Amino acid sequence: MIGARLLRGLAGAAGFLVAGELVIRFALSSDVIYPPPSVVLYEAARLLADPDFLAGVVMTLRNWALGLLAAVVVAVPLGVLLGALSPVERAVRPLLEFLRPIPSVAIIPLAILLIPVDMAMKVSVIVYASVWPILINTLYGMHDVDPVAKDSLRSFGFGSLAVLRRVSLPSAAPFVATGIRIAAGIALILAISAELLAGGTDGMGVYVIQAASGNRTDLMLAATFWAGAFGLISNAILTAAERRLFHWHRMRTGAQES
Amino acid sequence: MRRILRCHAIVLGVAAALALAGCSGNGDTAKTAAGGKGLEKTTIKVGGLPIPDVAPLHIAIAKGYFKEEGLTVEPVVITGGAAAIPQIKSGALDISQGNYVSAFLATSKGDKLKMIADMYQAAPNTFNVMVPKDSPIKTVADLKGKTVLVNNLKNIAQLAVTTQLKVAGLGETDVKFVEKPFPDMANAVTTGQADAAWMTEPFITSTQSQLGFRKLVDTMTGQMEDFPIAGWMATEDWTQKNPKTLAAFQRAIGKAQALAAGDRKEVEKVLPTYTKIDAQAASVITLGSYPTELNENRLQKVADLMLEYKYLESPVAAKSIIVTAAGG
Repeated sequence: MIGARLLRGLAGAAGFLVAGELVIRFALSSDVIYPPPSVVLYEAARLLADPDFLAGVVMTLRNWALGLLAAVVVAVPLGVLLGALSPVERAVRPLLEFLRPIPSVAIIPLAILLIPVDMAMKVSVIVYASVWPILINTLYGMHDVDPVAKDSLRSFGFGSLAVLRRVSLPSAAPFVATGIRIAAGIALILAISAELLAGGTDGMGVYVIQAASGNRTDLMLAATFWAGAFGLISNAILTAAERRLFHWHRMRTGAQES
Repeated sequence: MRRILRCHAIVLGVAAALALAGCSGNGDTAKTAAGGKGLEKTTIKVGGLPIPDVAPLHIAIAKGYFKEEGLTVEPVVITGGAAAIPQIKSGALDISQGNYVSAFLATSKGDKLKMIADMYQAAPNTFNVMVPKDSPIKTVADLKGKTVLVNNLKNIAQLAVTTQLKVAGLGETDVKFVEKPFPDMANAVTTGQADAAWMTEPFITSTQSQLGFRKLVDTMTGQMEDFPIAGWMATEDWTQKNPKTLAAFQRAIGKAQALAAGDRKEVEKVLPTYTKIDAQAASVITLGSYPTELNENRLQKVADLMLEYKYLESPVAAKSIIVTAAGG
C-alpha cells in the first residue's frame, strides 16, 4: 500500500523532470540559458564532493537546528502558559496577531542592522519565524483539551498542576508536534534567506551567491535542489515521528493520512 | 500560591532560554587587546563579493601577508557593496569591499565611512552595454526609449550608461533603467523583457561566447575612463579605534595589490578558490586594474561626476572619506 503510493509519487516526480528536460531542450529557444534537470541533478550529485558546499550545508543546518530548538524552547512553554491562563492570553493575543502576519523575511534587513554577530543574527530570524506556528498550535492544543477529562480529575481532588501534567499537556502534545513540523520548514526558508540577504562565511545561501556571481546557474539550481531535499527529509522524519508518538491521537480524531 | 510558583517556574524557564539564545554568539568577537604587534584586533572579518575585484584579499591570505602582520583575516561573502554598509556599521564586519559611488552616496547622507585602501579600477571592456546578436540597436543613440538593465539603480551602472547617453546626445530619462541581477540579465534581454544590459565579467565573456551577444559600447570610456570602481571601507569609528590594525591591513593588502597589478597569473590562480569562475574562464575574462595607492585626485573625479549627473546634491571632498596609510 505504502509502496504503491511511493511509486506513484516517484512516477510523478520523474514525469515532471522528463517534461522539464524536454521543454528546456526542445521547446525553449537556444538563446535562453536555462540548465535542464539532467544537468542540475548531475551537478547536485557532484556538490556532495565539494568541500565548500559541504561546509555550507553544515553551517546552514546548524543554524537551522539551533534556531528551531530555541523556538521550541520559547514557544512551547509560552503556549502552555497562555493556554492555561486565559486572561493573559486575551491580553497578549492582539500583539501576537499583529506580529504573526509580518513576513519574517522582511525583518532580516533590520536584524542585519541590529545584531552585530552574524550567527546570532541568522539564528534570531529563524527563531522569530519558527516561534509562530509552534506557539499557535500549542495554544490550539491547550484549548482543545477535553473539559470533561479536566473536570473529572479536578473532582477527584487533583490540583491544577496535576491536571496540566496529566491531561492538558498530553492532549496538546500532538498539536505541538504538528507546529514543530511546520516550523521546521519555515526555519529552513529563513536559514537560507538570511544567507542570501546577508552573505556570510559559509552556507547554502552563500554558495548560491557565489554561483550567481560566477555565472553558474547550474550550481545555483543544484544547491537549491539540496535545499528542497533537506526540507523534504526533515518533513518526512518529523511526520514519521508524529505518527509513531501520537498514533493514538490520529485514531481518536480519525485524521486521514497526510 | 501554587499558581504563583508555577508562573515563576515558567517565567524562569523562558528567561533562561532567552538568555541562552542571546549568549550563543558572543564567543566569536575576538578582541585581543595585546596582539603580537600591539594590534587592537588580531582577527578581523572582511567582506567581499565573490568577483575578481577582491582577488588581492585572497592573494594576501594565501601568501600569508596578513599573518606577517599578526593579523587573521576571515573573509566573508557579502551580497553587495551597499548592502555591506549596515554590516560594517553594526560591527558584523570590520572592513568591507565598497564601491566608491555607494560610499559617496552614503557619505552625503551622513554616514561616517572611510575608504582605507583602493581595490579595483575600470579598464577597457570591463563594463559594457551588451545587446543580443540580432538586436536592431546599433549605436548608443538607438537606445532612446529602450529598456536597459543595470545591477543597481542610481549607482555606478546607471551613471556609466548615462555618461555614454550624453555623448550620443541623450539624457538619463531617454532610456528606462530596470534593476536585475547580473545572472538574470541575458535571459531577460533574450526574452524581450529588456533591450540591452550593462554587464561585467564573467557575464560579458559568457554571453558573447554562448549567445553571440554584441558589445554596444564600453561604458568605461570618455568621462568614465579608468574609473575607480571599488575600495576597502570601514567606519570612521573603526578606523579611530583600530589605527594599528588598520595600518597592518593597509600594508598587507598593498603588497597583494602590487602583486595583482604586476602579474595577471596571480589573479587567475586565486579566482577559482573563492569564486565559481573556473580556471578556464579566469584565463579569458577581461580584468580591471588593481591600483596600489588610494589617490585623492582620482576619487575626486568620482564625486565630481556624481555631482555633475545629480547623484550628489552638493560637492563632497574625496579627502573627507579617505584614510591613507597613517604610518605605524
